[in-house]
Amino acid sequence: MVITTTSTVDGRPVQQYLGIINAQSIIGANIFKDIFAGLRDVFGGRSKTYEKVLEQAKEDALRELAQKAQAIGADGILGVDLDFETVGSGGSMLMVIATGTAVKF
Amino acid sequence: MKSYFGSYSSSPGAEPLQSSVLVFDKNINIGFRNPDGTTTTLDWSLKDIVASFDHSRQSTRLRYTKLSNAEVLIEGNDAADFVKEMQTEQQKVWYKKSGAKEWGRNLALLAGLLGLLVLLYLLIVPWLSEKMASKVSVNTERQLGDAVYDAMGLAAQEDTAASFVLNEFFAEMDVPTAYRIRITVVNDNVVNAFALPGGRIVVYTALLKQIKSYPELAALLSHEFTHINNKHSTKSIFRKLGSKVFLGLLFGRFGSVTSVLVNHADNLKSLTYSRKLEKEADTEGLAILTQRKIDPQGFVSLFNHLKESAPSDALPEFLGSHPDTDKRIAYINEASRGATITDNNQLKTIFSTLNLNQW
Repeated sequence: MVITTTSTVDGRPVQQYLGIINAQSIIGANIFKDIFAGLRDVFGGRSKTYEKVLEQAKEDALRELAQKAQAIGADGILGVDLDFETVGSGGSMLMVIATGTAVKF
Repeated sequence: MKSYFGSYSSSPGAEPLQSSVLVFDKNINIGFRNPDGTTTTLDWSLKDIVASFDHSRQSTRLRYTKLSNAEVLIEGNDAADFVKEMQTEQQKVWYKKSGAKEWGRNLALLAGLLGLLVLLYLLIVPWLSEKMASKVSVNTERQLGDAVYDAMGLAAQEDTAASFVLNEFFAEMDVPTAYRIRITVVNDNVVNAFALPGGRIVVYTALLKQIKSYPELAALLSHEFTHINNKHSTKSIFRKLGSKVFLGLLFGRFGSVTSVLVNHADNLKSLTYSRKLEKEADTEGLAILTQRKIDPQGFVSLFNHLKESAPSDALPEFLGSHPDTDKRIAYINEASRGATITDNNQLKTIFSTLNLNQW
C-alpha cells in the first residue's frame, strides 16, 4: 500500500482509479492533558501532550483510510489530504479528516 | 501502522497473489484481488503470527498459526522487525505498556487534586473563616445583632419588667466580658431562647415560666452568654459563607442536581459544627456556674424542660442543630461531678422578684 500526498508515484503508472475515500478520527484529549497543556500555555513552550494527541488522531485517520482502500482492492492512495479541526463545546476535541484517491497500479 | 506490498499464498503450491499488507498494533490486514476479480481482506491477529526472515529470498515470511498453510512474503526484513516489535509490546503486562505510565501519573494527580480539595474544604476554608470571624470587632457584631433584632420586630412584644430583672440577675452573676449583654424577654409561646451576635440575648416567656429555680436561669443565661462571648454566630456565618463560596467556585458550573447534593451535604456538615458550638456553650456555661458555686443541676432541669416541650418524634441527632438532650444531660453530669455548691442569696432574691405566673 502506497500512501502519498503526490498525485503520481514514480515508476508505477495508475491502472485504475477506484474513487475518493476518506476517513476521520475525532479524539478528545483527557482532562489531565488539558491541565498540562494549560500549564504549557501559561509558562510557554511546546505542548508535547497535545502534540501526541494530534499524532494519535492522524495515525488513526490514516489507518482507517488504508483499511478502506484495502477493502476495495486498492494498491495505493494518492493525493492524500489531511485536515485538522477542533470540534465539541469549546473546541475541546480534535478532528482529523484524511481524504485521498484509491488507485490500482 | 506500517504498510507493505507482499505476496499471499493460501497453500504451498498455490499461485501467490499480489497483496497489500497493513501491520497494526494488534492485528494485520492482508488485502488481495482473487483471480476472478473479487477482493478479499484477511484479518490476522498479531499474537497468532510467526514472523521470520527468509535469508535465501531476502524477505520476511509471516505465517498464521490458525491457517497452517497460508503465508505472506514481504521483501526486506523491515516487516519482520516491525511485527516483532508490535508483538513484544502486546505481550507486556498491562501496567508496563507504554500508555500505563501516563495513566499512573494521571491517577496520582487526580488523587492529589481531590485530597487537596478535601483538605481545603474540611480544614483550610473553616480555619480561614474563623480567623476572619475573630477579626470582626465587637462594634460590628453589635450592629449586626441589632439589625437582626430590629428585623425580627421583637421589641413590640417585650416584657420590660421581666427584661429588667433578667439583666439585673446576669449583672449579679458578674461574668467578665468585652460585650454589653442586653437581655430581652419576649412574650410568646415558643419554648426557646437565643443569642444574637454583639450581646443580645432573647428569652421567650414560654420557656421562662417553666424555670423553677435560679440555677436554671443562671444555666440558661450562661449558655447563651457563651454563644456571644465566643462569637459563635459570627463564626457560623463566616464558615457558612466561606464554604458556600468555595463550593460555588468548585461546583458552580455543574448541573442543578450536583449543586443540590453538594448543598445538602454542606448543610449536614454545618449542623455538625452547630452541635459542636452548642456543646461548647454547655461546657463553658457550666464552668461559669461552677466558678460561682451555682448548682450545675440547673442545666439538667433546663434540658428536661426543653425535652418535655419538644415533639416526641424528634429528628435523629445528625439532623439536629443541637446535641441529643440525653447526651447533653450525660456530659453535664459527668463534668459537674464533685462541684461545690453554696446558696447565692442575691441571685435567689432577684429571681424571686420575677413574677413567673403573670404569663
